[in-house]
Amino acid sequence: MKKLHLYSRGDRIFVILNMILIAIFAVSTLYPFIYIAAVSFSSGFAARAGQVVLSPVGATLEAYKHVLSEPMFWISYKNTFIYTILGTVMSLLIIIPGSYALSRPQLYGRRFWNLMVAFTMWFHAGMIPFFLNMRDLGLLDSYFGIIIGFAVNGFNIILLRNFFEAIPNSFEEAARMDGASEFQVLWKVYLPLSKPAIATVTLFCIVSRWNGFFWAMVLLQDEQKIPLQVYLRHTIVTLSDDNEFGASLVDAAYSVETVTAAIIVCSIIPILVIYPFLQRYFEKGTMLGGVKE
Amino acid sequence: MISNPEFQGGTTEELVIEASEAVRRRKPGRMVRVGDHLRREWQLYLMLLPTIVWLLLFLYKPMYGLQIAFKDYSIFRGIEASPWVGFEHFRTLFDNDQFLRAVKNTIIISAYGLLFGFPVPIVLSLMFNEVLNRWFKKSAQTIVYLPHFISSVIIAGIVITALSPSAGIVNTVLGWFGIDAVYFLTKPEWFRPIFIGTGIWQEAGFQSIVYLAAIAGVSPTLYESAVVDGASRWQMMWKITLPCILPTIIIMLIIRIGNILEVSFEMVILLYQPATYETADVVNTFIYRQGIQDGQYDMAAAAGLFNAVVAFVLVISANTLSKRFSRTSLW
Amino acid sequence: MRNLTLAAALLGATMLGGPVMAEEDLRIVDEPLELTIQMNHARYPRYKEDWPVEQIARELTGIHLIDATVGANTRTDENNGKTEALNLMLASGGIPDIVGSSRIKDFVNQFGPEGAFIGLNDLIEEHAPHLKAFLDERPEIRSAIQAANGEMYYIPYLPDGKYGRAYFIRHDWLSKLGLEAPQNVEELEEVLIAFRDKDPNGNGLKDEVPFFARQWPELIRLVTLWDGRSSGSDTYHDFYVDNGKLQHPYAGEGYRDGIKNLARWYAEGLIDPEIFTRGSSSREYLLSENLGGMTHDWFASTSGYNDSLGGKVEGFQFKAFAPPASVSGVRMEEHRRIPIKPDGWAIGYTNEHPVETIKYFDFWFTEEGRRLANFGVEGEQYTMVDGQPQFTEDFLTNGKPVNNQLYEVGSQLQARGYFQDYNYEKQWSNKYALEGIALYDEGDYLIDQFLGVALNAEEQKVYDKYWASIRTYMLERQQGWILGNGDVVADWDDYVATLNKMGLQEVLDAMNSAYSRQYG
Repeated sequence: MKKLHLYSRGDRIFVILNMILIAIFAVSTLYPFIYIAAVSFSSGFAARAGQVVLSPVGATLEAYKHVLSEPMFWISYKNTFIYTILGTVMSLLIIIPGSYALSRPQLYGRRFWNLMVAFTMWFHAGMIPFFLNMRDLGLLDSYFGIIIGFAVNGFNIILLRNFFEAIPNSFEEAARMDGASEFQVLWKVYLPLSKPAIATVTLFCIVSRWNGFFWAMVLLQDEQKIPLQVYLRHTIVTLSDDNEFGASLVDAAYSVETVTAAIIVCSIIPILVIYPFLQRYFEKGTMLGGVKE
Repeated sequence: MISNPEFQGGTTEELVIEASEAVRRRKPGRMVRVGDHLRREWQLYLMLLPTIVWLLLFLYKPMYGLQIAFKDYSIFRGIEASPWVGFEHFRTLFDNDQFLRAVKNTIIISAYGLLFGFPVPIVLSLMFNEVLNRWFKKSAQTIVYLPHFISSVIIAGIVITALSPSAGIVNTVLGWFGIDAVYFLTKPEWFRPIFIGTGIWQEAGFQSIVYLAAIAGVSPTLYESAVVDGASRWQMMWKITLPCILPTIIIMLIIRIGNILEVSFEMVILLYQPATYETADVVNTFIYRQGIQDGQYDMAAAAGLFNAVVAFVLVISANTLSKRFSRTSLW
Repeated sequence: MRNLTLAAALLGATMLGGPVMAEEDLRIVDEPLELTIQMNHARYPRYKEDWPVEQIARELTGIHLIDATVGANTRTDENNGKTEALNLMLASGGIPDIVGSSRIKDFVNQFGPEGAFIGLNDLIEEHAPHLKAFLDERPEIRSAIQAANGEMYYIPYLPDGKYGRAYFIRHDWLSKLGLEAPQNVEELEEVLIAFRDKDPNGNGLKDEVPFFARQWPELIRLVTLWDGRSSGSDTYHDFYVDNGKLQHPYAGEGYRDGIKNLARWYAEGLIDPEIFTRGSSSREYLLSENLGGMTHDWFASTSGYNDSLGGKVEGFQFKAFAPPASVSGVRMEEHRRIPIKPDGWAIGYTNEHPVETIKYFDFWFTEEGRRLANFGVEGEQYTMVDGQPQFTEDFLTNGKPVNNQLYEVGSQLQARGYFQDYNYEKQWSNKYALEGIALYDEGDYLIDQFLGVALNAEEQKVYDKYWASIRTYMLERQQGWILGNGDVVADWDDYVATLNKMGLQEVLDAMNSAYSRQYG
């Protein structure tokens, strides 16, 4: 807040009002997480009966005990890390050079290639043909299939390409003079200048990997390879009462609600931890720090 | 300043290449020119190659599957052996008044979503940009993007509880002002505001990340000179930040326009009731209720293709307009 | 105890129908024969060769099943009956020798006639004496599982036990207010008014919710009190059989009168005002908060609250009462367990041993096989007491849900075609549930159910074209009327005209042509 004196009185009111509005919005968006956390520490019955509002009711660790003692939870957690880390790396390896090339004006057929990317954002083959294609490529039931099969996404390419295009030509001229190759220009000039964009795309890759479940469910045969989100769904199916057999939940230490909440809490924590690292790159001025115009 | 001189530069450069080639050799053949170009720029094509190969292998190759929209598809017979039925599936869809109603509802929800939902993440990112306290800024950013990670089922549960006529916070607050409790979720006129509001609340924080990154890309020297000129924060926001992130906004807008027929199916299913179908039933829920999702791939493909074609027509139009007026485009 | 005798009689008939077999006769092949199997069910997403029950079956029959399940991680969604795994299996091109799944009926009846599954009629006739005896005994089962071409393509899982849902009411509230269990619709209304006005929970607030339900269509079910119908099967909003013809309940006059009165009840506060959104937690919430007065819900799970809430809510007694008599004096419980499920197993077209396979299916309808399918392994899960299987004390009291324990050993697998034995469930049923069942048994309130039809291609086309839209329209109007948007009596002629315009008659004709083909 030290910088505040630099600004006029009007600025100061503007800044404070702004912070209040943000704080209100942030409190409202924090609520779902608080709710989930409270449910995860509540008794199965309280959660089922909708008695949890802000804090745990009948506080217990049973849901976590149940979740953490399941070997499949840890296996799927590990798998999610594998899919997320390797998948994101794979995505970036393909997307970054691709987007760079698509941003270059001298590329022949540049419009065509870009259109080809954009087209895939709306036209999808459908589930069965995609599945059969993956089978024909021998990518069913494999880590590699999941990692490579979803590496590229039109939106991320367009986003990144757009950022590359926004970088003024003047930055690369010096490098060009020195006879740098395209790879060198990308590596030495564009990448350092595009940290916010790369961070954004990285975050999007991580998040979509982290949350993705449908195709993992369809393509993976072996239960040992499923990611956490698929495990979460299996847990919900297994714990939901079917058939209406007697088993009342009134005395149950945990229920499908609390176990689900506990898994969600566990799955959100890594995302919470990662975000601040990427957030650094969204700070104003970071990108131009090293490069002088 | 952000928009690209390269756009025209591209053609200029080609002219330059052509000119230099013309000097070297009279009337060089097209092949020779391409060959020359490739020799000089092969690295670019090498960079592009993985992306293109990937798209062809994973997205374009299975697209032959789109033909089932015109076939009586049996999974057992396979796509090849299933008989053609022409536009029958499309006719079935369009003969249905409820499908047309669903299309209408989808477009209205999307349009309102665009009107009210699209600006929110932009405003949010601009607001974050004006926060000086780094700790506050970082924590608030982390918090607002959290709901994105919580499943729709839970978010919907929270919304339903909050709107409950007997115990919900909304009706409790209305009660303080002497307003009778409203059973919001059974009122067709309330569905759109509830649905769109929920969407904004859940996703605005996450969607603001793109704009935060764009703002981070704005050159600080611009602000420095503006400060020297005595500009206020408000003026800098309007005169510097917003114009600088405009290309990003436009790209996002075009994509959003292309998603006009895509309304979050899961959330609608969770929040709607037969009593609110009138305003709430969208294309995806209509398809779901018709039982089309359950193995009737041909009909689903027809609806999907209809969506895609409409979306693409809109995107092409938006893109053309954008290219003319802002020189930003998807391709 | 009519159930037990019925089951015993059926079992007896089954045994008499087939040749009396000594134990070694269960063997189907001399040399062990391996058959591949796809097995999908939410609770056991693939076949496990080491299920103890399967090991015994293998020993007895010589048939070795090998798991070849595709799409096990998709799980079958019991709520919407999605059969993603079956679609993936079919798309992959290879169909295993045996396919067992929940929600398999429509799947095999669609793809069987296309050639993906082997028709079972002749195989059963010639090689499956126990199955044949069973189907001869209950021809309606044969009718119900047939595809449109008259061929059977799967052997179903057949649940036993008749009772599903019942009317439950707070008996302690009744006695506190000096009331009796309502015997007819007028008395029911009086009771609900008393619940609303006389503060039976004694907290001084008018916060009681006289009638509530976890699923809002249970509210619609109350139209039976005005001689309407809400469904003909255990699926909501289904067609019903009226004098040998299919009708839709939401086009009948009784339905109109019922909705008129339910709308009035809703407006007067006799119905949970949030019935459409309260959802599955309403029973836990309203009972444990001492707010809910009456519902219509499953015997077993609802009775369970007497044990678990007995100590928490003073005097808590939530017990079943007989269906109140309708305006014309009919006492009817519309819901019952459906005697046949769309779950079971079928034979894939590439199976080279259909005869051995049908014999294997038949094995599960022998006395020995049925016991194995119902009770698990003798000496482990149960022992024989007086010639009847009896679960061991330890098995029933170790705290784990009984049905889960049985799944774990390979029993009660509904992706297998077998005839359930109600005895298995009775042994661990809550005493309040058994009391209620006895009450319903005494009055004989159940009605026959519509077991479904298999439409031929032409009928299916008509059905697909019109039905979903009609149903949507029906539900929209239904909720609207209850919520007070429009008056059902005033709107009725318009409503019926719209239904006809939307093709209700065409759908009914298609359904009835299939119905008379199958059951006629």
